[in-house]
Amino acid sequence: MNMEIRPILSALLRNKTGPILVAMQVALSLAILANALHIVNERREVAARPSGLADEAATFYFSVRNLNQDTPDQKLAGIKRELEVLRAVPGMVSAGQVSQMPLSQSGTTSSVSADPRQERESAYTSVYATDGAMVKTFGLKLVEGRDFLPHEVPEVNQTLENRIPETILITKALAEKLWPGAPAAGRTMYFGVGNEARGVQVVGVVERLQSVHAEVGVAAEYSVVMPEFSYGRPGTTYAMRAEAGQRDRVMQEAERALRKSSATPMILRIKTVEGDRQDRYRADMALSWMLVTVSVLLLLVTCSGIVGMASLWVTQRRKQIGVRRALGARRIDILRYFIVENVLITSGGVFGGVLLGVGLNQLLVSKLEMTRLPLVYLIGGALMFWAIGILAAYGPAWRAASTSPAMATRST
Amino acid sequence: MFGYYFKLGLRSLRRNRYLTALMVLTLAVGVAASVSTLTILHAMSGDPIPSKSDRMFVPFIDNGQPDGYIPGSDHIDMQMSYKDATNLLRAKPGDRGTAIYGTGMPIEPPRTDIPAFTGFGLAPTRDFFAMFEAPFLHGQPWSVEDETRGANVVVLGRAVAEKMFGEANPVGQRLRMGGDPLTVVGVLDEWNPMPRYYKLIGSGPATGEDFMIPFTTAVRRELPAYGSVSCSESRDSGFASLLASECTWIQLWIETRSSMDRSEMHALLENYASEQRKLGRLKRQAPVELYNVMEWMEKQKVVGNDTRLSAWLAFGFLVLCLVNTVGLLLAKFSVRASEVGIRRALGASRGDIFRQFLIETGVVGLAGGVLGLALAFGALALIGMESKSMAAVARMDWQMLALTFVMSIVASLVAGLLPTWRACQVTPAIQLKSQ
Amino acid sequence: MLRMTNLSKVYRTHMIETHALRGFEIHVSQGEFVTVTGPSGSGKTSFLNIAGLLEEFTSGEYVLDGVNVQGLDDAARSRLRNEKLGFIFQGFNLIPDLNLFDNVDVPLRYRGFNARERKERIEDALSKVGLASRMKHYPAELSGGQQQRVAIARALAGSPKLLLADEPTGNLDTQMARGVMELLEEINAAGTTILMVTHDPELAVRTHRNVHIIDGQVSDLVRRGPSLVDGHAPAHASVPA
Repeated sequence: MNMEIRPILSALLRNKTGPILVAMQVALSLAILANALHIVNERREVAARPSGLADEAATFYFSVRNLNQDTPDQKLAGIKRELEVLRAVPGMVSAGQVSQMPLSQSGTTSSVSADPRQERESAYTSVYATDGAMVKTFGLKLVEGRDFLPHEVPEVNQTLENRIPETILITKALAEKLWPGAPAAGRTMYFGVGNEARGVQVVGVVERLQSVHAEVGVAAEYSVVMPEFSYGRPGTTYAMRAEAGQRDRVMQEAERALRKSSATPMILRIKTVEGDRQDRYRADMALSWMLVTVSVLLLLVTCSGIVGMASLWVTQRRKQIGVRRALGARRIDILRYFIVENVLITSGGVFGGVLLGVGLNQLLVSKLEMTRLPLVYLIGGALMFWAIGILAAYGPAWRAASTSPAMATRST
Repeated sequence: MFGYYFKLGLRSLRRNRYLTALMVLTLAVGVAASVSTLTILHAMSGDPIPSKSDRMFVPFIDNGQPDGYIPGSDHIDMQMSYKDATNLLRAKPGDRGTAIYGTGMPIEPPRTDIPAFTGFGLAPTRDFFAMFEAPFLHGQPWSVEDETRGANVVVLGRAVAEKMFGEANPVGQRLRMGGDPLTVVGVLDEWNPMPRYYKLIGSGPATGEDFMIPFTTAVRRELPAYGSVSCSESRDSGFASLLASECTWIQLWIETRSSMDRSEMHALLENYASEQRKLGRLKRQAPVELYNVMEWMEKQKVVGNDTRLSAWLAFGFLVLCLVNTVGLLLAKFSVRASEVGIRRALGASRGDIFRQFLIETGVVGLAGGVLGLALAFGALALIGMESKSMAAVARMDWQMLALTFVMSIVASLVAGLLPTWRACQVTPAIQLKSQ
Repeated sequence: MLRMTNLSKVYRTHMIETHALRGFEIHVSQGEFVTVTGPSGSGKTSFLNIAGLLEEFTSGEYVLDGVNVQGLDDAARSRLRNEKLGFIFQGFNLIPDLNLFDNVDVPLRYRGFNARERKERIEDALSKVGLASRMKHYPAELSGGQQQRVAIARALAGSPKLLLADEPTGNLDTQMARGVMELLEEINAAGTTILMVTHDPELAVRTHRNVHIIDGQVSDLVRRGPSLVDGHAPAHASVPA
């Protein structure tokens, strides 16, 4: 196949401006697109991480504050009563008192270590407290050890004491961090380091429970669950799980039943895990959409640029095309000429774009704490732009090919 | 001649409709993307209080544990403990000072048709209002006596006041909050400094606080601290132990008379810190840090990486649109080579041709600016849908509006330089011959 | 070599029909040097375009070097053009972005010769027109006469049977024009048939034969000197009724 690459290339080099403009557009687009899509993918992956809950769509919670003047002991009785009411709602799988919820971005974090003699603590973890029902309510999967036994859940008056529990559940990720490659059940974990560190025994390991902040990275998987039935504070939180698909109905009935069960008015804040997830990742999703929109616009603008330039050259070289036809070029020869010309220009752009893309990524990594760009994005982008270059040039090239050879003899 | 060239420009635009439309659209989209991200950046990083942002300071005193201390590492929480905050307020290192902590209480409306709800607010000391220039709709801040006594008074936010009491002036009325009636002494007007720089750590609602209650009152009533309590050592339960502990949960601000007093105040604070170290309370050999408003916003990363990324991306896109426009302009002008040749033959100088074509590109820029402005409004509206805090920032002001036009016209002129220069190079003779 | 019988070319635009050629008849034998004259609008250009397979005709018959052109598709016509014809235009029509070597190369590429053969032919053609030393130069660096010579080299490089020239000296001064004509006569003497359209009556008289076209028809035939025999008796023009 006669590609006549060298003469095409030398003709291009004689008339550099137009080709350079097109190549620049391809380079810019490729560089930006590769990085943008990488970020979009990353964010999507982060937002898709499972929380560890068996059925997020059916899990919800109430933050309840009773406007009465009960004593702490009266409050304890009240909480027990309310839990009974909630558990009696038809369609309720499980209900229990909790201190905080995953993905809610509000809660307690503590530092823990495997050995109190360590210089620094091993990790920061989200600290959940449960009345014993959490494993069932969240549908957590135990991979080692066991859930709490009823006698291991103390009733704690929070206005009086700040008790450190004796037993605890931890997540698998935390177990790996504290005791890599070894079983964790039965070992002692410490809150803090040094003389003040308090030990607690690990009775079980759950496969997964995300932290309240669901940070990027492994920190999101460090959580501990401690047994504590707490009372005395003005407010309390109940986490509940309805049967699959029944959440809204069960939520409504639970609210109604709860309000009815109290003589005094109560302030009830209702939230769902689904809603918390949306809130947590809202900014990431917004950025993703923005990046996707701009990427599409980038492609459109670049395409229009390629098509525009190619059309212009065809018009400018009408006479020349006619001469080539007169000299024996067939339609397909003209078509091939323009396609080859375009591929050469696009290739220049792709090459520049790969370099620019790597450079841009360097900048993002150093200045904006982004992550390194995997090569596959650049390769994929390059292939895509080659394809676009050929497709975009096809229309004008076809028009060129249909030039009549009689153009050669026309006076203008 | 300007008017003549302007008219020529308009006429030429109308002649090749599709090409012109494409150019205007490309330019408009690029400008819209840049302006909308810039607007957000501008709102987030703008100086919220330019008259005194260089003489309002947040001090940081490191009261952490000596174990595991690595000098220079990031601080976990940069608020202050109760002891340090009250000590410093009493010592008066500057002209004015205020201690703030975020809290919440159930509010029971006087009208029975509205259910009780949890309000979120601040517990600042009295100077807060003067320091941050909070505007009052009704009434005024609580008095010094109220503050000393820890009286049951409250300043309401406008939205809550209207919800509870309607349009009437509620000063003097009582509102049941947290189980006790509080007397309303003032109502804040609409106050939306962007960002809410007075409390960046553990910030309150994006639409503004529901109420402000005296710091001493909140402490007396043992109102819980919302919004980040960080403890480096264990403590007993109960509010009293919170006050006695080294947990940090209070935001302190100090205002000096002039920005020159900064070093003086820094010295004062260093003295205080070394005193506390001698007393054995502060265990780390860490220097005192001081931040003015802009520095504080920078330290707390108000302008996040994502916002910066968006702005960079938008600019990259604008550059692409510019390069694209240069190409389109080259196309547009090249077919006019014969017109240029004739004009030159009839006496136009190179400068005349340059002016004519540059003004023509300026017309494109103007059209692009108009369309770009409309698109930018749309884009900002879309971005604002993300969250309430975003909606507060994604708003166009006069500066940004003007910037849209300036950017569009400058962009088109820059894009037009090369094609216009090319157009001028056309010599009269050759073009005429090919006629 | 070239025979057109009862050829007609009609241009139709909207409501208007223009007859460029009507009942056109011509027979050119191998080795002839024929000039074609006629006033503007007479159909000279149409005749040349059709002869050069650049345009299609409405009715009639055209046989080129034994091949009946009727019914050939565009690809076949292009190939025929490429192999058998050479073109020289008034405006030279060199490609400005290519140097002389690459310009002469263009038709050879479409022919499918390999690189070595192309190089030989190009060097050969350029030396024939006396411009081999300036192979790497660009058209803009040459005078009009030199550019036309390059165009001639380009036309010759493929060893065509028939050379079609459209006012080849139209843009040249008298001295350059004379040079080009001499070159063409040399080529014809070497055996290539030449068909040349010209305005210039002085040039018309230099050739064996002159064909005059008026209103789309050959109306006059002046022959000077013997022509090479190609097996047919030279045809006479038909006189219009």
